[in-house]
Amino acid sequence: MFLILGAILAAYALLAPLTSLDAAQSANVPLLADRLWFRIATIIAMFIVMATAWNIIGGITGYAAFGNVAFFGIGAYTTGMLIAKAKWPFLVALPFAPLVSAGFAALVGLPLLRLRGHYFAVASLGVGVAVGELVQNIDYGGQPLFGGASGLFLPIYAIDNRGLFFFYLMVAAATIAIAVTWWVLRSRFGYGLIAIRENEEAAAVLGVNTTVYKVAAFALSAALTGLAGGIFSQWNVFINQDNTFPIDYNVQMILMALLGGTGTVFGPAVGAVLLQLLIQFLGGSLPISFDIPFVSADARPILAQVILGVLLVGVVIFVPRGVIDFFGGRSRLSLSYLRRSLRETSL
Amino acid sequence: MSAGVTTQLELRGVTKRFGGVAAVDGVTFEVGKGEIVGIIGPNGAGKTTLLNCISGLHRLDGGDIRWQGASIAGMAPHRIAKLGIGRTFQIVRPFGSMTVRENAAVGALFGSAAGRRGPKEAFEMADQVLDLVGLKAKAGHPVSALTIPDRKRLEVARAVATRPHLLLLDEVMAGLNNVEIDEALEMVRAVHATGVTVLLIEHVMRVIIGVCRRAVVLDFGQVLAQGEPEVVLRDERVIQAYLGERYAKRLKS
Ligand SMILES: Nc1ncnc2c1ncn2[C@@H]1O[C@H](COP(=O)(O)OP(=O)(O)OP(=O)(O)O)[C@@H](O)[C@H]1O
Ligand SMILES: [Mg+2]
Repeated sequence: MFLILGAILAAYALLAPLTSLDAAQSANVPLLADRLWFRIATIIAMFIVMATAWNIIGGITGYAAFGNVAFFGIGAYTTGMLIAKAKWPFLVALPFAPLVSAGFAALVGLPLLRLRGHYFAVASLGVGVAVGELVQNIDYGGQPLFGGASGLFLPIYAIDNRGLFFFYLMVAAATIAIAVTWWVLRSRFGYGLIAIRENEEAAAVLGVNTTVYKVAAFALSAALTGLAGGIFSQWNVFINQDNTFPIDYNVQMILMALLGGTGTVFGPAVGAVLLQLLIQFLGGSLPISFDIPFVSADARPILAQVILGVLLVGVVIFVPRGVIDFFGGRSRLSLSYLRRSLRETSL
Repeated sequence: MSAGVTTQLELRGVTKRFGGVAAVDGVTFEVGKGEIVGIIGPNGAGKTTLLNCISGLHRLDGGDIRWQGASIAGMAPHRIAKLGIGRTFQIVRPFGSMTVRENAAVGALFGSAAGRRGPKEAFEMADQVLDLVGLKAKAGHPVSALTIPDRKRLEVARAVATRPHLLLLDEVMAGLNNVEIDEALEMVRAVHATGVTVLLIEHVMRVIIGVCRRAVVLDFGQVLAQGEPEVVLRDERVIQAYLGERYAKRLKS
């Protein structure tokens, strides 16, 4: 309970300076920079949802899902279709994003979650790619059903201060994702999931219905990811395969969870903030002008990929429990910590 | 099995093959309510495989297993656990990221159908069980801090926390010294005293003779002999297959 309260308070603390920033808009703060910060903050919140949601299946249950972006895309297209084609109001259409994503996850999870370890990882990656292709290529009556290659345009959501509205909405989704994780880790359900991660057969003979638990975890992860996709579709107004099924989101959400600390309540969120800031910074999207010596502007996205790759390897080897391990006085970052981690993670 | 005892577990021609080789081959015996039955046999005789068949981890290739009169062959492991059949693993399988107490609590949170427990009651149950197996003082420890005997105790604690009617123990005393075996024997007697039927695999003869009313000898997946431990252990075929001459002499003297 206190943690949920804390999360809400933290959200307010985060929001307060931003709303004042919004007020400062009239006081001649450059409009563009202001909008950009909102956009970045909303994207960060979006990744908090995705990394936290991935943590439920990947971190807590121990099934490395590599195709969770499928649920983001399904959520985006569910809401997008209901708004653009069925003319539903956004807030009525939004709840269907998590529902359809979860339903789809339950359907594919039933056969997929029978696979162990890397077989599941590869198969889930395949599903992620396949769904994106299907959405773009399904025709109905000679017309692309979901807008095809040219994507789907949504009417602009008419509300004052849209940027702030969608930022609030995404922060609410992030709060829900974190609160759900907090609840899971204290519940019977969560103990069952951790038992599955640690030893599936031992869990089964103690009475854990492993199939139902795994599928439920996958569906819950998908629901939250789909919610983020649903919000994204109306926020971005235009959706297509590229912006709702980007393969690199799969890697990013996993990396965020690893960086922050898998299996924990706040780890993936911390990882999402750090990594998304780094991605934006390296990609040159932050309204901070700087030069990286010896690197031309064109090569910066490539440099970003390289740095992400090195970071992934470094985190997995040296900080296996994530940076959240340094919070609250549990551990201190030191040479001996890194050495101990290396010993734990190597053969 | 003596008259007047109700049959709880019934194996009829239980068969399990791995690539054509029958690891368990037509095993038939019964376990009555409240008994402690021992399974012995040389390495690779199929003892663990038989336990895997009973707890639902292996599908049978032949025969039937009945629990309180109804077949449980082909049933999922968690459903068999819910019916009240708990087990330990020969090679311990603790939940590594959890504390000792949490490990036991998982047994209590799930386990047999004797009432679903919320986390609070499950942890109380876990504490009781840890007390029973002598791990109370280490309840808050991570599993990685436990010695091998303690890990074996934890296996038992977790299974007992499921409140089973039948407990299957797979060599929980292997690798223990004499003092530790005595402690473990006490633990088994204590669990049995709470009304639990026990089917245990053991290589240590002292254990079989000490607590079992009946022993079943497996060899090459088949039942070689069964009956009272003292009688079975004098059986010529059992001595040939398993015990060896030296042991036989010692037993006779
Ligand atoms: N999953 C498996 N796949 C293939 N063969 C197996 C499998 N499990 C057991 N076996 C084989 O079945 C036979 C019986 O093994 P099992 O583990 O049941 O013996 P055991 O009586 O428990 O022996 P021990 O006293 O060494 O524990 C062995 O030959 C073993 O190699
Ligand atoms: Mg064995």
